[in-house]
Amino acid sequence: MTMKSLLKGTAVIAVAGALLSGGVARAEPEVELMHMWTTGSGAEALAKVADKFREQGGTWTDNAIAGHTASQYAALRARVMAGDAPTAVQLKGPNIHEWAEAVGLADLSRIAEPGNWSEVMAPALVDIMSYDGHFVAVPVNIHRVNWMYTSRKALDAIGETEAPENWDQFNAMAEKMEAAGIIPVAHGGQDWQDITIFEAVVMGMGLDFYKKAFIDLDDETLRGLEMVATFDQLRKMVDWMDEGMPGRAWSEAAVLVMKGEAGFQFQGDWYVGDMSRLGYEPDTDYLCTTQPTADGSFGYTLNSDSFAFFEQDSEDRQEGQALFAELAMSPEVQVFFNQAKGSIPARMDIDLSDFNSCQQLSAEHLNQAIETGGLVPSLAHSMAQPQRIRSSVMEIVSNFMNTDMSSEDAANQIADAVQANI
Amino acid sequence: MSDAGFDHTKLGTLQQRIFSRTVVYTVLIGFTILYVLPLIVVTLTSFRSLEDIYTGSLIAFPRSFDFSAWGKVWSTGCVGGNCQGISPYFINSVELVVPATLISTAIGAINGYALTKWRFKGSEFVFAFILFGVFIPGQLMLLPWAWVLGKIGLSNSTWGLVMVHVIGGLGFVTLFCRNYYMSIPDELIKAARIDGAGFWTIFRRIVLPLSPPILVVVVIWQFTHIWNEFLFATTFTSGYNKPITAALIAMTAPQTDIREYNVESAAVIIAALPTLLIYFFAGRYFMRGLTAGSVKG
Amino acid sequence: MATIDLGQIKRTYGAGRETSYARPKPSFGDRIQSWMPQIVMTPSILAAMFFTYGFVLWTLYVSFTNSQMMPSYEFAGLISYQKLWANTRWQIAYTNFFLFGSFYVVITTIIGLALAIFMDQRIRAEAFFRSILLYPMAISFVVTGLVWRWLLNPDTGVEKMVQDLGWLGFQFDWIVDRDMAIYTVVFAGVWQASGFVMVLFLAGIRSVDSNLVKAAQIDGAPMWMIYWRIIIPAIQPILIAVLIILVQNALKTFELVQALTSGGPGIATTVPAIFVFDVMYARGQFGQGAAGAIMMLVMLLVFLIPYLVYLRMRRRREAE
Repeated sequence: MTMKSLLKGTAVIAVAGALLSGGVARAEPEVELMHMWTTGSGAEALAKVADKFREQGGTWTDNAIAGHTASQYAALRARVMAGDAPTAVQLKGPNIHEWAEAVGLADLSRIAEPGNWSEVMAPALVDIMSYDGHFVAVPVNIHRVNWMYTSRKALDAIGETEAPENWDQFNAMAEKMEAAGIIPVAHGGQDWQDITIFEAVVMGMGLDFYKKAFIDLDDETLRGLEMVATFDQLRKMVDWMDEGMPGRAWSEAAVLVMKGEAGFQFQGDWYVGDMSRLGYEPDTDYLCTTQPTADGSFGYTLNSDSFAFFEQDSEDRQEGQALFAELAMSPEVQVFFNQAKGSIPARMDIDLSDFNSCQQLSAEHLNQAIETGGLVPSLAHSMAQPQRIRSSVMEIVSNFMNTDMSSEDAANQIADAVQANI
Repeated sequence: MSDAGFDHTKLGTLQQRIFSRTVVYTVLIGFTILYVLPLIVVTLTSFRSLEDIYTGSLIAFPRSFDFSAWGKVWSTGCVGGNCQGISPYFINSVELVVPATLISTAIGAINGYALTKWRFKGSEFVFAFILFGVFIPGQLMLLPWAWVLGKIGLSNSTWGLVMVHVIGGLGFVTLFCRNYYMSIPDELIKAARIDGAGFWTIFRRIVLPLSPPILVVVVIWQFTHIWNEFLFATTFTSGYNKPITAALIAMTAPQTDIREYNVESAAVIIAALPTLLIYFFAGRYFMRGLTAGSVKG
Repeated sequence: MATIDLGQIKRTYGAGRETSYARPKPSFGDRIQSWMPQIVMTPSILAAMFFTYGFVLWTLYVSFTNSQMMPSYEFAGLISYQKLWANTRWQIAYTNFFLFGSFYVVITTIIGLALAIFMDQRIRAEAFFRSILLYPMAISFVVTGLVWRWLLNPDTGVEKMVQDLGWLGFQFDWIVDRDMAIYTVVFAGVWQASGFVMVLFLAGIRSVDSNLVKAAQIDGAPMWMIYWRIIIPAIQPILIAVLIILVQNALKTFELVQALTSGGPGIATTVPAIFVFDVMYARGQFGQGAAGAIMMLVMLLVFLIPYLVYLRMRRRREAE
């Protein structure tokens, strides 16, 4: 206990240094991180964090859970059930609160207070990351979901230079592309991609509509005319997708956009990170813009990856949690993490001049959205509502996109499913 | 294998025989091609470069043989944050599968022997009682198992997983061995008993020497199932302790990258290699085991 | 007897019971000896009791609660079942189970039997054919699904290959067609299991008493009649083992679908195991998932009941 009080309020890195130089009773920080980034930029960025962690004398166990989202949560539940919860887990959005309520999450105050998290963290994230007045999770990035990526080559092919700003323009261009033998909308038919494009269209109908539908879960709005119009627009877009879409990864669809075989794609900004890795650059190969809007309103759908910390008895693990939290929130990690991921740092005090143009635009839009009240959590990426609601909406959207369900039916089914799961 | 002295295929007129031979071979060759196709495609793909795959079609002969996918899978590919390829996980699977299979097989043999050669009141009920376990979906067992493993201190360990597979395999190993041992004539056992041999003596001296065929069947069955199992493997292990199936899925998950079909293919072959080898080399024993078991049928 | 014959349970019960222990004053060692079969079975019985039936009972109880994130133990009646049956995706899942289950079990059995009969024609290179037909069983469902996913996808697989060869009108897009996708799952499942089933049947056919076959041939019976009337009835116990293996495979089908179609297009190929897994773990609606798991066991009865009825009828016939 003396160890603990000694540590309180002290930057862990300094203490870890002191520990290495000997003298004090040694706590050897260890962390087991359970996460879903089995491949790609997320995995590579994490590997770098792991190196930093080891440099500080910690023991790092990487527990990447492959497969379905359910696999990760099954593994997490199994560990909690066994009384052996992992030290750190990739959790996000309302799920953090659900776990804090169900089994308890570790209090990060001793790192967060000296680190001044509540000041430097993007304000929209503070509530999500804290429970009962203290931080229980650390965000590593801010992803914006409602991006539309437009193929430069496809634009050239139809004699356009700018991405569309409203749906009429969008539809007109899509028709031209179709006539030119280009797939107008690139998409991978996986449920999460389905709800991602759906969410973009909802935001495209208007910010207020998005808020009423996905934040307030207002029954009348969910059944209303605007929702029907949303599905009508989505139906058009589904008809513009190609046959090979079911089961395709979003990155495979993205390559179609890069090559000019497809025109538009609706995805979050992890797109930017992975396209850079493949050697495609913003502006020259593709444009990044906000999705088209019907009423000119401006919204920013927020997604953030974060790590939550389960309560631990072992002192080594507590130290591991502290060290990892400290590292994850450090400016250095936030910079390299987000340069790789295509997102922007969860800290507001970082200079973005080394980031690419899409990322800088994201930061600019973030500030604009904070000022105008347009910053909203993403439903598609489990930020706005608990999993059970998000998943039941996702299921219906997926079903809509793969059947000839009418827009009215889809709207009613969503409203019913939300009612059943509130 | 069959020594039925009578060859029914020698019946009928010559034309009939030629016709039926043609039909038989056509059907068998047709199915063989269909069955082997995926293996060929995967093997070829594993030797192609990504560029070759993405500029051409996915099903094609390699333009030039490229071994980089194999190297990547074995020693440099990333499974989450660990970029040492799939090789460490391969060994984990061996460490899991070998004890689990051996224990299962031993239990199967003893259970089958006790249930057929020493029938006791309710022994058939006991058999049905144990057999029912084969129908229980794994998803249902996950949390109760986690709880049990946590209580006995085997959470997140290979031995915990061994226990899950040994108990999960009880139904089938008992089924296979019981059916086989039913074909061993009871007279042999009775004679030994009259000579004063007990339960274990008879097992060692008479039953075990007759058992290799069925033991091979059980070994193959358990080995294949445990080696290929994913749900428990990924749930009950962590970090470098993961068995190969979990690592395979992790390495090939098409989350954020361009799908590396060649790497996926090489990973698929490496992961399947031990079971494939077992099938090809032990396959004839497998056949013999089942045949021998049927002699009395 | 190559394989399980539950029908024999009653008939043979008692017949094999030993009476040789009726010696006077058995010693302690003898008494242990006489109980040895029960003693060696005890660990398995206890394991089954606890890890099969105990777990099922636990799940049954949880299905009557409103468990969410983690299992809770507050009784809540049938609420989880009501939610379950109101769920469209569950309705699709259980329909798919019966669709997939029947096609998979029936087709695999028929193809397995047919291949076994063909293999029984004293063919050359039998070991070669057998190995090729059997190898899919050695490969995990995960791999099976992955490979067939490429081959069946119109973008990457057979359709594109044939079109590239010049037949532009060729279409094979079941996997992306919501009405047909479930049949691609059947196809991949059959591909995987039929070789194994073939081997089981072949072993059975080889063990049929050759005198019976010879006698029938001398009577002039055609070969198909001999298979139909003599050989197939004789391998009935194997048929039952095959059905047990296939039915439990069908019920537990999870990785195959996950890898082949991920339950899509949309939710068209969702099967019960996927639904249960998703609801229990991804969504944190544990009670509803438990209710789904219990319903899976109930669905199993739909397959088992005809068999039990058949057993009863047979027993009655034998009693007469």
